[in-house]
Amino acid sequence: MAVCAAIVGKDNSPKFFCCINPDEELTFQYKVLSSLDIIEEKLNPASKSASEMRELYLGQLYSLETCKIYGYVTNTKIKFIIVVDSTNMALRDNEIRSMFRKIHSEYADMVSNPFYIPGEPITSKSFDSSIKNIITGTV
Amino acid sequence: MRSSVSYILSTSTTEPNMSHPDYEQISHDHAALLILVKHIGSQLRPKTFTKFYDRIAKLNQVKITDSSGQVRTIFVRYIKEHPVENNDWGDFQTHRRLIGLVSLGKYDSQTELNEVCRVHESLKVKYNATLYDSRSILFGPTKDVDSPVTDKSSGSDCSETKQESNIEKYTTPSNFKTRALFYDETSACVDLENQIVEFINSLFWVLESKRLERSREKLERVSLLFAPFEKKDFVGLDMESRQNKKRCTGRMTKHLGDLCLQAGLVSESIQYYTNAAETLKSVNDWLWLGAAYEGLSTASALVLYPNMQRSEGFQRFGSLPEGSPKKANQEPASSTPTTKKPIANLLNPDDISKRYREAIIHYSKYQNAGIVETEASFKAARIAVEQNHALQAASFLQNVVYINLALSEQEKIQRFETLAHLYTQIGFNRKAAFCLRLAATRYVSPQNPNPNWNKCYSLMLQSLSGHKLILDPIEMLEADQGWPTLQIQILQDLIVAAKRANHSALATRHMTFLLQTMWSHLNQTEQKELAIQLQSLSVQCEGSPVPLVLESGIVVPPANLTDIPVCLGFVLKDLKPHLRPRLIEQEKEDMGPFLFTPIHFGSLDRNKDKGDPKMEFLWVENEACEVSLKLSNPLSFELKVSNMRLLTSGVVFESAPETVTLPPDMVTSLSLTGWARESGELEITGYSTHALGVKSNCRLKYMTNHFPPQFKVDVIPSLPILQVSTSLPQSASFSNFHDDSIVTSAGLSLYHGESAQCVITLTNTSDIPIEMLEVTVNSILEPQLQNEIFQVDLEQVSLILPLQPEQTASFDVKIFASANFLAPNSAVSPSIPQDLNSGMFSSLSTSLPGNSSFSRHNSSFRSSNSGQSSLAGGLTALFQQPLSTAAVEAQLKIRYSGGAGLQSGHCRTSTVFFNVELMPSLHITNWDVLPAEKNTQFYLVLDIANLTTQEMELEYTASKHMLIEGQESCRVPVPVDRCPLSKLSDFYEEADQSKHLTDINRICSEHISELVKLKWLLNATDSKGVASLKGINLNTRMLDMVRMSPLEWEVKINGDKFNAQEDLSCDAGDCMELQMSIANSLETALKELTLSIQFYQDYNNGTLNYRMDTRLAISGASKKILSSLEPKNAANHRCNVVFFAPGLYKLDIQCYTPDGGSTNTAPLVSTGHVWRFTPPISIQVK
Repeated sequence: MAVCAAIVGKDNSPKFFCCINPDEELTFQYKVLSSLDIIEEKLNPASKSASEMRELYLGQLYSLETCKIYGYVTNTKIKFIIVVDSTNMALRDNEIRSMFRKIHSEYADMVSNPFYIPGEPITSKSFDSSIKNIITGTV
Repeated sequence: MRSSVSYILSTSTTEPNMSHPDYEQISHDHAALLILVKHIGSQLRPKTFTKFYDRIAKLNQVKITDSSGQVRTIFVRYIKEHPVENNDWGDFQTHRRLIGLVSLGKYDSQTELNEVCRVHESLKVKYNATLYDSRSILFGPTKDVDSPVTDKSSGSDCSETKQESNIEKYTTPSNFKTRALFYDETSACVDLENQIVEFINSLFWVLESKRLERSREKLERVSLLFAPFEKKDFVGLDMESRQNKKRCTGRMTKHLGDLCLQAGLVSESIQYYTNAAETLKSVNDWLWLGAAYEGLSTASALVLYPNMQRSEGFQRFGSLPEGSPKKANQEPASSTPTTKKPIANLLNPDDISKRYREAIIHYSKYQNAGIVETEASFKAARIAVEQNHALQAASFLQNVVYINLALSEQEKIQRFETLAHLYTQIGFNRKAAFCLRLAATRYVSPQNPNPNWNKCYSLMLQSLSGHKLILDPIEMLEADQGWPTLQIQILQDLIVAAKRANHSALATRHMTFLLQTMWSHLNQTEQKELAIQLQSLSVQCEGSPVPLVLESGIVVPPANLTDIPVCLGFVLKDLKPHLRPRLIEQEKEDMGPFLFTPIHFGSLDRNKDKGDPKMEFLWVENEACEVSLKLSNPLSFELKVSNMRLLTSGVVFESAPETVTLPPDMVTSLSLTGWARESGELEITGYSTHALGVKSNCRLKYMTNHFPPQFKVDVIPSLPILQVSTSLPQSASFSNFHDDSIVTSAGLSLYHGESAQCVITLTNTSDIPIEMLEVTVNSILEPQLQNEIFQVDLEQVSLILPLQPEQTASFDVKIFASANFLAPNSAVSPSIPQDLNSGMFSSLSTSLPGNSSFSRHNSSFRSSNSGQSSLAGGLTALFQQPLSTAAVEAQLKIRYSGGAGLQSGHCRTSTVFFNVELMPSLHITNWDVLPAEKNTQFYLVLDIANLTTQEMELEYTASKHMLIEGQESCRVPVPVDRCPLSKLSDFYEEADQSKHLTDINRICSEHISELVKLKWLLNATDSKGVASLKGINLNTRMLDMVRMSPLEWEVKINGDKFNAQEDLSCDAGDCMELQMSIANSLETALKELTLSIQFYQDYNNGTLNYRMDTRLAISGASKKILSSLEPKNAANHRCNVVFFAPGLYKLDIQCYTPDGGSTNTAPLVSTGHVWRFTPPISIQVK
């Protein structure tokens, strides 16, 4: 399944980053950061019609030799980004979508936590483990 | 986009393929004539060359009227370098051919001119295959005004002699076959542009002729055109096959399209390209098909976007805000086509990208066409940028990365730089930053034979903005954005690059920046490691808070370590209390008509205080001022902070450097001192540190703990300093007084009644003379008592002024242990405050017998046993008490000023604290008055208790001394003159009821205390003092005794004048004659006086027997009524007495006014008052 997931706030600052292989975190961070350019371009209202705006899933942002990057943006401009290993051909678009939906609902639960200050990086351990479960497909 | 059949069709070739990509190409270059502008010779300065290059480069579009009268727009592209191998692809895409050469050179002499010409010729040879024409622009020496003659260049179609007025005569060598243009580099060179246009014209005509020549060729007969690497592929193939014929045709058609495009015939070229594409597609000639598609796209783009331009350099990097990738100079594409007639087969904007995409896919099938593919990708991306399709542009650019080319490192770097540039254009700043970083790493990659850390560093620096890193730490902290993990990584890379590039100052700066801005994102080990790294970096170059300017003009703002160490407290200290300047005259605050108004405590005032952090105290010029800091070291190792100084603005301030070593995780207090060198307002904005080898200016406003941005304090002109010392030892305690301006103290113990002297020595330790000096004593005592205890010699004080610097002066303070020595028989004297006679006295008063023992008229104090015993009991109680002492605390305030400080109305106060311990010396526990031998005197009998533990020598009259053991009491009679009537005359004369007995009492007690001074001397300690009887309280009986009687008595017994205390004796049965006369010594007459004579016997046990009827007989009246006794008149009385039985008789003679007598009399002559003849006469009868 996916190798990395990230949640980026509306000011494009990282809120959460999780990686299956912790050693690769830095390289993945670079990739995710670069993909924000494309997300922003896609969100640019000038190039969007109303119907497209309603769709939260942005599809594949770009693909690299080793991985593909998918994006999803909530209505409050919170960005979810999933990095998938490009050798994993079995993964279909629908699965990516459902993965995003799960992350979204998980995030919504997380934000509902009265002890979480919106805008702060997410440090919850249970959130981390549930996101890991989602991207590894064990849920 | 990459074709999956990539490389399938390509063969491994050893042939030189086009190995020098031109990343700067845009699609319009397909239509341009390529002209090399070359700098030759070493004489010409690069700046001049650039200047002329820029002039020439402006002529990038020339309108030329062709033979048919049609105006064609010819594009020209000027380049400075052109690898000759690129010409090889000239058949594939004609715009790659170099067709023109312009050389610029300068000479000073004929030999140099020859050399320049030679170089030009050799360049011509180099590009011989493709070159159509060339020009040489030559700058000669300026000194001469001779008209030069230039050789005719035989190669050109028209020869011409250039004449410039001030060019010296030099001739080009004979083998120089180029048209030379001679100019003076300093002159305007007005016709340069014309010359270049003419040159372009000549190029055009050659091109046009070639085009026509080609177009007239029969398509069936044309030879096959090759891309350089293809040559081998066709060896041995049947060139006559139908397939190949078509291939030839297609390729030639495409070639014609290229030529048409270059010759300004866009619509024709589109036609050619379309045809070529069809032909080539049918024969699967992918490479050329791609080229045809590309040609088609570029021609269409040329029509649609005629104004597309190469964007200038990298200077505008990062200037585009995020999210707005659109360029400002963009022209609406739709406006141009309307003016032109529609062109057949013109691609619409979407198709351009599509065709380009296809072209790129076709190119990608050939490994050797990698460079063409790369260039095509860039061109396509630029079109997409023009079209505002950022995502499309991004996908073209993404493709570039995948193209595997055997490029030199330099070219790879260029590729990334171009990518970054384009990404920036579409607003993909992060991607751009990423590419710049890759480019930067390439500069120093192990593959790179000449690593260039400088370039690496400068690219790294450019990539910062993409990662939301702002070089100013203040802005950076405020913005607080970006991805900290990456930012840390990038900064670390930047530091390494700076270090390797030998920019140690920058490395230190960036490391400081990293620590300052990323502190919260670092874990403890990282913090520690980075701090240690910074320390080692700063060894090479110390960090200092000045902006660093790079060669590229980028300014690296100073980075200050404001939080290493962390400042937890910053407090300005007032001066030491005794040095604090005070206003000499306290202005009275104008409180308005109301004594109290709550408005002053309103929110307005409080807000004002908050906004202006002005200190309430003052600092003094040239005097050490202190700011106390609380610092904590956030690092896990010991931190040495040196050279800490205060940062100030306003008046000149000199700060003393301070060094402190901070242990980890501990709060350390420290104070920074300095001297204001001027008077005025001083602002303290922070402090500077030197920690970890970095000098930082830590401003309060940038610190994480929210301090006010600055502290303000007023500095007043300098004041003198006085050192005060006393001759007495320091007191052990300063208790009650909370005045902190105490500089010294003096403690001493005095017995009641003792006095001492204290010398206060003043030394002016400053260099300002003291011109004002005021000495006052302050205490909680009542002023009168205070003045009694402390006496300052004010005259002596006034003589001190002025006190010059380093001079010493002194004055005396007399201290007298004033106390009440009396047991309070009744209400204490009002002049002694309650607190002085503390508990001891009150307990005494209860134990003492009080007035009761004196109530009986006839009782003698001396003989009263009960009095004795009660006295003894009282004394025991007195001595049993702990030897209680009272302490008097007082301050001697010395206010002084001088110099400029005095002018500004300020002074200083030094206080000497006095702690005087008052120990009881003696105490008068009881007193009485007895008649003395003389009628003008009386005996004041005092019970004096020595409350000390030493033997006391008491001198109670001038000649009489007595020793009293410690803790013992004794009784002394003190002969005192009676209070003369003159002091009391008021009371006899005026019938004013307002004068009371208490007033008489007061006058009498004053009289006594004036006369009676009990001098005591403690033999052991040799201390001596005087006890006064001030406040002694007398009852009416005593008062009669004390004051002179208004009646003068004269008693004669048997004709002899009776003297007091004289013993009389007679035998029983004898007749004794008593004769008395009473004289009135008052000024007024006494009325209704009754004189009576009474005998009695005193049994000495308290019983007085007045029944004398059986023991004696009186002949004559025992009572006589005097109706009026005029002043100075005397009344006489005479009688006889016969004693019947022996014994001791006493005779009491008294004179009284009867009860209920005249009402309107003075108080002392009031009703029922009795005057006695004292002492009573005692007669021993045998």
